[in-house]
Order: sequence, then structure tokens, then C-alpha cells
Amino acid sequence: MAQSTFNRSLELAGTLPALMVAADRVAATVIQGVHGRRRVGQGDAFWQYRQYRDGDSASRIDWRQSARSRALFVRETEWEAAASVWLWRDASPSMQYASLRNLDTKAQRAELIVLALANLLTDASERIAILGGGLRPSAGRVAVRRMAESLFAETKNDAAKLPSLPPLVPLPAHGTVVLVSDWLDPLDRIETVVRHYASEGVRGHLVQILDPAEEDLPFNGHVKFEGLEAEGQHTIRRVETVREAYGARLAAQREGLQRLARPADWTVHLHRTDRPAQTVLLSLYLAMADLRRLNAA
Amino acid sequence: MLSLGAFAFAAPGMLALLLVLPLIYWLLRMIPPLPRLVRFPAIRLLMGLEPTEQTPMKMPWWLLLLRLLLAIALIVAMAKPLLNPQADLPGKGPLLLVIDDGWASAPGWTARIAHAERLIDRAERGGRPVVLMGTAPQPLDAPAMKQGALRPEEARTLLRAMRPKPWPTDRAATVGQLDQAQVDASAHAVWLSDGLEDPGTDKLTARLRDFDGLEVVLPDQASTPLVLLPPDSDGRDLKVRALRPAANGPRKAAVRAEDEQGRVVARIDVDFAATSTQGEGVLAAPVELRNRIARLDIEGQNGAGSAVLLDERSRRRPVSILGERASANGQPLLQEVYYLERALDPYVSLSIGDRETVLTRNTAVLLIPDGAAPSPNDREEIAKWIEQGGVAVRFAGPNLAAGGDNLIPVPLRLGDRSLGGVMSWGTPATLADFPSNSPFFGIPMPKDVRISQQVLAEPTPDLGDKTWARLSDGTPLVTAEKRGKGYLVLVHTTANTNWSNLALSGLFVDMLQRLVLLSRGIAGDGINKALKPWRTLDGFGRLGAPPAGVQMLPADANRTFKPKPSTPPGLYGDENAHVAFNLGDHVDAPKPLALPPGVATDRLSEGGETDLSRWCLLAAAILLLSDFLISLWLRGMLPRAVRLRRAATAAVLIAAAGLFASPPSVEAQTPSTSPRIAAPIKVAAPNEDKPPPLSDEEALRGALDVRLAYIVTGDKDVDDTSRAGLEGLSEILRSRTSVEPADPVGLDLDRDEPRLYPLIYWPITSTQPNLSPKASAALDRYLRTGGIVFVDTRDQQMSFDRPANGNPDLKRLLGAIELPPLISMPSDYVLTKSFYLLSDFPGRWQGGKLWIEAGNGRVNDGVPTIIIGSNDYAGAWAVDQRGRGLMPVSPGGETQREMAFRFGVNLVMVALTGNYKDDAVHLQDIMQRLRR
Repeated sequence: MAQSTFNRSLELAGTLPALMVAADRVAATVIQGVHGRRRVGQGDAFWQYRQYRDGDSASRIDWRQSARSRALFVRETEWEAAASVWLWRDASPSMQYASLRNLDTKAQRAELIVLALANLLTDASERIAILGGGLRPSAGRVAVRRMAESLFAETKNDAAKLPSLPPLVPLPAHGTVVLVSDWLDPLDRIETVVRHYASEGVRGHLVQILDPAEEDLPFNGHVKFEGLEAEGQHTIRRVETVREAYGARLAAQREGLQRLARPADWTVHLHRTDRPAQTVLLSLYLAMADLRRLNAA
Repeated sequence: MLSLGAFAFAAPGMLALLLVLPLIYWLLRMIPPLPRLVRFPAIRLLMGLEPTEQTPMKMPWWLLLLRLLLAIALIVAMAKPLLNPQADLPGKGPLLLVIDDGWASAPGWTARIAHAERLIDRAERGGRPVVLMGTAPQPLDAPAMKQGALRPEEARTLLRAMRPKPWPTDRAATVGQLDQAQVDASAHAVWLSDGLEDPGTDKLTARLRDFDGLEVVLPDQASTPLVLLPPDSDGRDLKVRALRPAANGPRKAAVRAEDEQGRVVARIDVDFAATSTQGEGVLAAPVELRNRIARLDIEGQNGAGSAVLLDERSRRRPVSILGERASANGQPLLQEVYYLERALDPYVSLSIGDRETVLTRNTAVLLIPDGAAPSPNDREEIAKWIEQGGVAVRFAGPNLAAGGDNLIPVPLRLGDRSLGGVMSWGTPATLADFPSNSPFFGIPMPKDVRISQQVLAEPTPDLGDKTWARLSDGTPLVTAEKRGKGYLVLVHTTANTNWSNLALSGLFVDMLQRLVLLSRGIAGDGINKALKPWRTLDGFGRLGAPPAGVQMLPADANRTFKPKPSTPPGLYGDENAHVAFNLGDHVDAPKPLALPPGVATDRLSEGGETDLSRWCLLAAAILLLSDFLISLWLRGMLPRAVRLRRAATAAVLIAAAGLFASPPSVEAQTPSTSPRIAAPIKVAAPNEDKPPPLSDEEALRGALDVRLAYIVTGDKDVDDTSRAGLEGLSEILRSRTSVEPADPVGLDLDRDEPRLYPLIYWPITSTQPNLSPKASAALDRYLRTGGIVFVDTRDQQMSFDRPANGNPDLKRLLGAIELPPLISMPSDYVLTKSFYLLSDFPGRWQGGKLWIEAGNGRVNDGVPTIIIGSNDYAGAWAVDQRGRGLMPVSPGGETQREMAFRFGVNLVMVALTGNYKDDAVHLQDIMQRLRR
């Protein structure tokens, strides 16, 4: 199972070019990476020589260049920076749900999206980490592998009831978080999360994954509903009569999500498990990619 | 009893319960159905949502109706409804049931029992005891029947246990039993007779008339018993004769002939003339068909009297040839025995040997070729044997022509006559048509038979009578003489092609068959020893093991045999030689029952009252079941896949099963409509090879997807490589072929069942322990049922093309498996073209050979079961996520890895499609591509 999710995520990521996250506002605090910024800065690629100025470290003098002339030259490299992206997916019991046997559960789909995204990001040499995983962001294919393994290990360990909201951990500013969940919790609790990260200057993308049954409420007649996270039971005598009201509530929940996200310049992406994962991945891609820079280049 | 036209209720009081229906209706309306249970993650959004429409929840009207119907069905069942109720029995005392249960009662037995049961039902309703009595002697192994008055249900049990007996009734003895049982004189007597006369009939009728009322029930026309007599097996045709009790108009019957396995060989129509009690039918069938007949039955009678068992006397003609069997290293086409054997082999049971061996066996016909001319002592013995009924056929030849042999039907001239030889003017002679006194008469004469040499008979006055075949010039070719009960036949030419081409023609076969038919079966068919019972008939004419207490037959049984409990009809003797004793020719000819005037008679009737309560109960059960299913469905407890449609199907199926499962129980006694000879009981060897059952989880995992499998060796590195290699190969298969394997599986043969996987990869390590017996049995079974094991010794870099069996670990690990001999794989084997066209099969290493089992494509239809390679294939297949190899491949690098993958694809294709690509259908295309 785990192995095939991983492989599927690879296939999925293969349909899109590597995702370079917009990093124009990345400050020097961000871990330096390999994006050429066409500016002098930290990096490996040669950019220009300039004359030695007071204050430059002696170790920065390029002796070979300096020997050719009378002046001392300092070798400058192009500033390269990588964005760090923290990914999180909801693995709480309510995600372990699929209304039809041939559908993915929401949790499977969330894992798939997270891993596919991780693949895209690492292909672009971005650094990724699991939100709340306690590890520093790292780059490369091995990071995806590591991420996949820790996700699977987390899910496998059933005894630990995983929370339905992301952990609130301090992140450096100008990072990016991608949070995948069904976002069915009360809005005020979601707001806490968004506030926490937005206030630290972290950009965020919320992905809401819903099962078709959750969107359409396709039940009829006398039904006793039971939550997956011990929320209790609720009996409705004729489900068809509350379908519209339910739809309104769901719309309100989504509206609320949008309302939370908009002021923080976050984006919200909706996804149903009966649709292909590519669509949501593409919209995430478009939201995260540095389109302006791609267009300029 | 409450009677409503054709309906009646035996317990009408129970109908009062119908008054509570309104109460049930009210209660059902009160209780709403339970909701279905749905697990739903977005329940938070539903919380607090109340329906805007506040209709009271009530049961759907159809469910209400269903439950009310259920209640009604139960109440009606308790009231015991009857269809076509019958009047109560006359009289007051017990019911005395006298039932003829001799052989003649087998036809119509079911109707007889049903009739009796209805009588008992009526007695039960009147609260009267029942006395049950059979007129035939009880079998020796039967428990003593309870005498005297019985409760009706006891009587019913006893009645159902009754079976017709394969011997006649003894009504005189029944009178004694009646006296013993001290039946109350006020009893109402009913005699269910079989319609046949018996010496004790008068006594029994007189005794029964003493009771308060007697009714004799006679069988109808169709149930009148017929007797089949053993057929006359003389001559070419099989003549069957049947007897009937009364000559009442023309009647037709059919006799079915079956072989030992119970297959119908032929049907013979038997016609009774209007005024005759005897019917005859003739089966004109070829010898080989006739020989297969093991028993004859009159159709639709199913009784011991209408069954005739045939034994060796009437069927098989054991034929012996004097001489030695044609040996393979000699020149068979010159040997006489060879021609005789070929001519007779399919039709008779043949044995070959010298006089002593041959004559001590049961032999009907003895063929004596000239090469095996008997010694004077032998001749004497053979002459004695012929007197007892044997048929000896001699063939002429140089030995006989030399004279001095007196075992001949006609005196011979010394020397022989050549026709058409180099020293002769004549041409080889043809045969004249057979004379009408000859058994060969009627055989069509082929034109190409030429006799070039023969021995000549001395002309004697009776030569003409003794001649069965002549040449066209009138000289006898076959002469014969009846001696005692047997015949001595001389064919005046050789049994091989030396003197004629007779032995090559179809005529030879026909003539020999006629000669065999001439014989009377086993020579001297007198039974001269006591015979123990082997298989006996029961009352329904079914052959089975003899019941306990059956006795040996004395030596003179042929005359004295009488069917009775200690000697039922059947086969006596042993498995190899048995003699049939049939009922037909050992009982008196049937005569119709003669009753004194004034006795009330009745006919057996099938119809009668029907108890409907079980049908009501069945309806209630079906309703209950459907109610149960509907409740489950309403609550959402049925699995998603089983929606209403399937539930309905299931309900209908269960209902149908219920209908068929509870017919009136008398039918359980219906005798099988086709009595068969019980084949000699084979003790089936306990099947040790039965594969263990699979758990559902296991079966689904293996069966829902194609999976490659490897054997877990216990060496972690090797196992990881196997896994990674098969993953890599699966990936290649997914991307290049229509095979879409799921993740590979590691097999521990001790625990896992291999049969779900089409291909098993087995890396050989020195550390893997020997296979346990269970594991090797599983693997053995897997190989024999079409699985493919790909064994990889992974030692090509060390072994350098040494034979596959050079690997000690391979030898050790495969030791427990039944391994076929191996050959190096031929270059045109299916593996080279099942997907890619390949000429070599590299893995991590190159070179080496693949070994497959020898058999040249004949074994397993050309599909290999075991393939042994040495190139560490999994090592080459193992790739990481980016498709880069995990292990170096030498010496060919990535090209070689690609070839390794191609080999892997071919291997999987062979495992999945077998020899499909070997099929000549694709030969053209493959050849064209190979040429390119």
C-alpha cells in the first residue's frame, strides 16, 4: 500500500515540471539554496570579480585573478536561495473514509497530494519538511523518501490518534506551508492555525479534500449518522429534507475558509476524492509557482 | 374437522387466533422501524439539522402487509389445513395393513406406500392404532419388526422403512404371523396386494375376512409386475423374453441393457401379443457391444424380478492361443500368434501360453497355430476339453502337413498342395461363397483373398458336411467336427502369410469372431463348487454388497436355487469369476391374483388429501427471512455491494431452495429410477495432495492482482534484492506491457500457499535451510499444477558455465522436490520469443545457460515448470525510484541490464500465456522478423 502510494505520487508529479516556489520575498534568513537570483550573494556559481574593499575578508580574495594585475580582486558568486516548504496532511480518523469501495480514502488522497507536491518541490531543489515533524527542511529525492516513510510510519501507528488540525510550531518567516485536510473543524479553531502562521509571515495553501458523499449527502430516509472521531450520533428521519440545509452549511464552511485565507494572502483549494488528483495538484502548482519570474525568463 | 369444499381444517380451533390480527396490526403500526446506521465524517455539519417536514415516522405499508401475512401464515399452519380431505375409516377397531412386499411389489412401490400412509393418516385422525404386516419373509439382517398394534406415527416410521424384497411373498406364513400378533377381531383390514397369485392366497384371504371389513387394494395396469428371463445367448442375436401375469391385450415394454458402469448400451423393445403372457425382443448388436452388457432391466419396473444380471457364461469369450507371445525382438510379421492376436484382440479376452497354462484357465476357444503343434499328451488333454464344450481351432502348416497328428476333424493327405508357386501351373485360388451349414454363412466375401498353399483333406463321405469353407475349386479350406459338446475346427492354411494372404484380410477377423461365437462360453459351465455371495440385488433391482446372513450356494445351485432371504438373487463367486443367479428363471411364472367373490377391492391411487400446513410454514419462513433481509437493508446493515437487487435474488433463491427441500417426505423413498450395477467398490486412496484451504485475505491478495513472488531465503540482503528486483521488473512490465503486476510477494513456503502466483523467483543461497516436508509438498504441488519456478543460483561469475547441478546448494534445496531431468534450453524455446525476440539471457552476469526440464515440449504442453539460471537476475532488475540500477551489471553495463529486463518480461509472459507464442499461428510473423 505504502509503496504504491509512493509510486503513484511519483507518477503524478511526473506530469508537471518541477515547481519553483516564488521566493522573491525570501530574506537572507532563509537557508541559501540554488536559485540563481542574478544578484551577488551566497552561492556556488561565479558571478563577477570586483576590487577588494576594506572590510572584505582576506579569505575571499581570489589570488589567481589578483596575480594577473596589480589590484586585489574578490570573487563574487551569484546569490542563490531556496524556499522551504512545510507540508502537513490530516491523518485523523475522519480522514479514513471513503463512501465507495473503489474510491481512495481522504487520507490516502491527502498523502498522495503531499508526496506528489514534495516530488515537484524537490525536483526544483526546494527544501521540504513535514510540519511538526521536528526535522529541518532538506532537499533531494532522499527527502521525499524520508517524508514518505515518516508519513507511513505515522499512519501505521494506529494507537496514536492523530489530531485533525496542524500543530502550531514556530517557522521562519517567508516559509510556505501546505496544509491538506478536510477542514471540517469549527472555523474558529482553523482560524487559530491560520492566524498563527500568517502572523509569522508564512505563506500558506489550504487544500480541502472531501469525499463525494460529504459534498452531496446521497442518503435517503431514516438514517442514524455516526461520527468517526467520537463526535456522537445524530439521527435524521428523512435525510432528503435536510440535504439543502447541509449543502448550505458546507458552503458556509468553505466560505469561512476563504474568509480566513484571503487577508493572509493564503489560497484555498477544493478537491473531491472522485476527481483525479492532478487537478488539485495543478492548481496548487499554479498558486505556488513563481509565475511572474517564469514568464520573465 | 371443519370442511370448506375441497379444504378442511383438522384443528379449526386455532383459527380463533386470527382474531388477534387487529392487535398485531396496531402494535406494528406503533413501532417505527429502526434507522440505518451510516458512518459519516462530516457529522459536525449535520448536528442540529432537523427535518423541516415533521411527518410521524411509520412503517411502510408493504412491510406492514408482509408482517401481517407472516402472522396469518403461522396461524393457518397451526390449524392444519387439508386439501381434498378424505372420509374417516369405517369400523371402530385398529387398522390392519397387510402389505405385499415381495419382488412383485417393486413397481409402484411409492404409490403403495403413499396409499398406506394416507390410510395411516386417517387412522390417526380417528385415534385408532395400526397393525402393519409384510407378506414376504424378512431379510436376515433386518431388526425384528414390532408386532401388534402400533401408534400411527410408529407405524408411519415402520412403513417408511419398508422396502420390497428380492424374493417372493409367503402368504401362508403371514397367516401364522397374524395369529401370533393377536390382532383385535374388530380391526379394519386393508391388504395392499401386488396382484400376483401365491399358494397361500386363499388361506390369507380367509383369515383376513374374519376381521371386521376387508379391502384389497390391487395395483393398476402400469404397476403390474413383469418378469424378465435370462436371455438366450446362443447364436448371433440376443433374445430377451419377459413374462406377465395376465394376457390382457397387447403391451409393449422396453428392456434396457447396461454395461458394468451403468451406461446404457442398448434398448430392446419387447412386445406382448394380445393373447400371450410372454413377450419377446431381439437385440442384433455386434459382438463387442454385446460383450459389454452386464445387466438387463425392464424400464419403469425397477424391481428384482425385472432385472437380469449377465455373467461370463453369456458374455465374455475367453480365448487362448497356444504358443508364445510374439516377441518384440523377433520378427512379428512372420509369427502366427501375431496375426491371431491382432485379429481377436479388441473383441475377446486373450491369453497366450502353453497347453497347461491355457487349459487350467477358463477358456472358451483355443487357437492352435501350426508352430505350436501339440504333443501327443497335449492332444489327449485338448480332446477331453473339446468333449466338455471347448472349441479348438487348428491352423495348418508344415508341421501338420508332415502327418502323424490325429487331432484333426478330417483325415488329411500327407504333404501339401501349392498353387501358383514357381513349380506350379495353377494360380492362387480364391474362396467360394460359404455354404449355408457353415457358421461363416453370410459373411461378405472379399475379392482379394488368395490361397497359395494348403493341406488337403482325404475325401470321405461326410467331408461335405464337415466343410465350412471351400476354395473356388471345391477343395475344403475350413473343416470342422462336432465332438461332444465342443468343436474341433481345422483351417487348412496357415495363420500367417506364408501360405495365403487370408491372415491379412478382414475376412480372417470375421471368421475368427464367428468361431468364437460358436463356443458356449467357459467350457463345461457346470458349477462344481460352492459359491459365496459377491453382489446381490435388493428389492429395487439395485446391485450391492450382500446383506449379512447371506449363505454360500451349494454346488448344484443351478437347479436348486430359490430366491429367499438366505440366498437373494445376485452374483455369486468372486470378483474374477462370478455366476449370475436371477430371480426371473427361478420363480413360478406370474399369475393374476384370484380373489374369492365378495371381497371389496380398490385400486392404488396416487392422489388423496394433502396436508397444507407445511406449505404454510414454508411461506411463513420465507416471509420471515425476507422481513429479516428488509430490516437489515432498511438499517443499512447489508454490505454496500449487496443492494436491494442482490438481496431480492438471495431471497428468491433461498425461497426456491426451501421449496425443493421440503417436498412431501414420501418422495424420499422413491427408488432411484436407474438401478445400476454397483461398480466394484474402489477404496479411494486418501488424497494427500489436497492443497490447504486459503484464508479469504490471502486468496484476495493473491487473486485480485497478478503478483510476482519470490521465495524468502532468510538472508536479508538476498531477500531485499529479490524484492527490489521484482519491483523493478513489475515496473517495467507495467510500463511496457499490458501486465500490471501489484507489489511482489515474499513467500515463506512453510506458511504461504504458492498456488496463487504465476511465477516464483527463487534465489539459491547457501544459508537457506532445507525445505520442510510441508514446504516441498507445497512446491511440488505448485509445479505439478502449472506453476513456474525460476531458480537463480546467482553464481555465474564463479561457476563459468558449469552444469546447473554443480551447485551444491541447488542440489540440497531441490533435493526434496520431484525434479524432472534437466536440459540446457534449446535456442528456439518459447522463452526466446514470448515478448521480445532474444538470443541470450543475461542478468547481472552474462553467459551461462538456462536449464529447463527435458521432455521436448511434450511435458506440460511445452510450458516449462522449472527454469534454472545463474546470472543473478534480481540483481539486474533491482532499480531505485529513478530507474537507475542498484547494482552494477557486468560486463555489458546498461545495455545488458536492458536485456535482463527483456528476459524478465519474456519470463513473465511465458508464465502468464504459456506456449501461446510457440503457436504456429504466429510463426509467419516471427519468421519474418527473425529474417530481418
